[in-house]
Amino acid sequence: MTPIQMTFSTMFLLGLMGLTFHRTHLLSALLCLESMMLSLFLATSLWALQLSTINIATVPMLLLAFSACEASSGLALLVATARTHGSDHMQNLNLLQC
Amino acid sequence: MSYLVCVLLFGLMVGSVGVASNRSPYFAAMGLVMVSGVGCGVLICFGGSFLPLVFFLIYLGGMMVVFAFSAALSAEPYPYGWGNRSVKMYVAAYVLGVGCAWKVLLGKWSGFWGGNLDESGELLVLRGDMMGVAAMHDVGGWMLVLGGLGLLLTLFVVLELVRGVSRGGLRTV
Repeated sequence: MTPIQMTFSTMFLLGLMGLTFHRTHLLSALLCLESMMLSLFLATSLWALQLSTINIATVPMLLLAFSACEASSGLALLVATARTHGSDHMQNLNLLQC
Repeated sequence: MSYLVCVLLFGLMVGSVGVASNRSPYFAAMGLVMVSGVGCGVLICFGGSFLPLVFFLIYLGGMMVVFAFSAALSAEPYPYGWGNRSVKMYVAAYVLGVGCAWKVLLGKWSGFWGGNLDESGELLVLRGDMMGVAAMHDVGGWMLVLGGLGLLLTLFVVLELVRGVSRGGLRTV
C-alpha cells in the first residue's frame, strides 16, 4: 500500500471512530462525518489523478454535491435539536432511553 | 517533491486526529479547515488543477462556512481545547492506533508515486481533471439532472425539518 492510500484510509477510519465515540456535542459528530466525506473526495480524486482515468473525475464532483445534501440535512437536525432542547448536547436526546 | 507530499500527508493525519478527538466544535472545524487546505495541496502535488480548486472553493468556502456559523449553536463558556484531560487521552489513543497501523501495514513501501497527471512535462491548456469534469456535463448529463433534483429535494427536506408550530420536525415549539 502506498502512503497516500494509507493516509486517506486512516483518515476515514479516524472520522468513523470520532463519529462512534462522540460524547458531548451533536455538531462534533457531524464534523467527523464531514471528515469522512473529505477522505472519500481525496480518494476518488486521487483515483482520477494517479491512474490517469480522467472520466472518474466526475465522481468527486457528484460526491461533493450529495455530501452537501447530507451536511445540510444534518445541520437542519442540529437546528431542530437546539430549538427543542436548548442546546445540542447528546445527553438531551434520551427519548428512547429505558 | 516527495518530501513535500510526506509533509502534507503528515498534516492530513494531524488534522484528522484533531477533528476526531472530540474537542469543542470550534476547534474541530479549524481542524477540518486545515485538513481541506492540506488535502488541496496533496491533489496539486499529484497533478490536479481543477479538483483542488473545487475542493477549496466549494468545500472550504461553502460548507465549512456553514458549519462555522452553526458552531454558534453549540456555544459553551469553557470549550474543550487541547488542555482537557479526556481530549488528551483520545488524541494519544488515536496517534498510537495510527502509528501501529502504519508500522504494521506499511512496513515496506510498495512504491510511492502511483502516477502524476502532468507527467508529460509540457504546459497544456486542457488539463486532465478539468476535461474529466467536463465529461460530467457531456455524457453525464442525466446524472447532473439527478443531482439537481436531489438538491431540490434536500431543500424541501430541510424546510420541513426546521418548521415549527406542529407542522414539521419541531413539535414543542
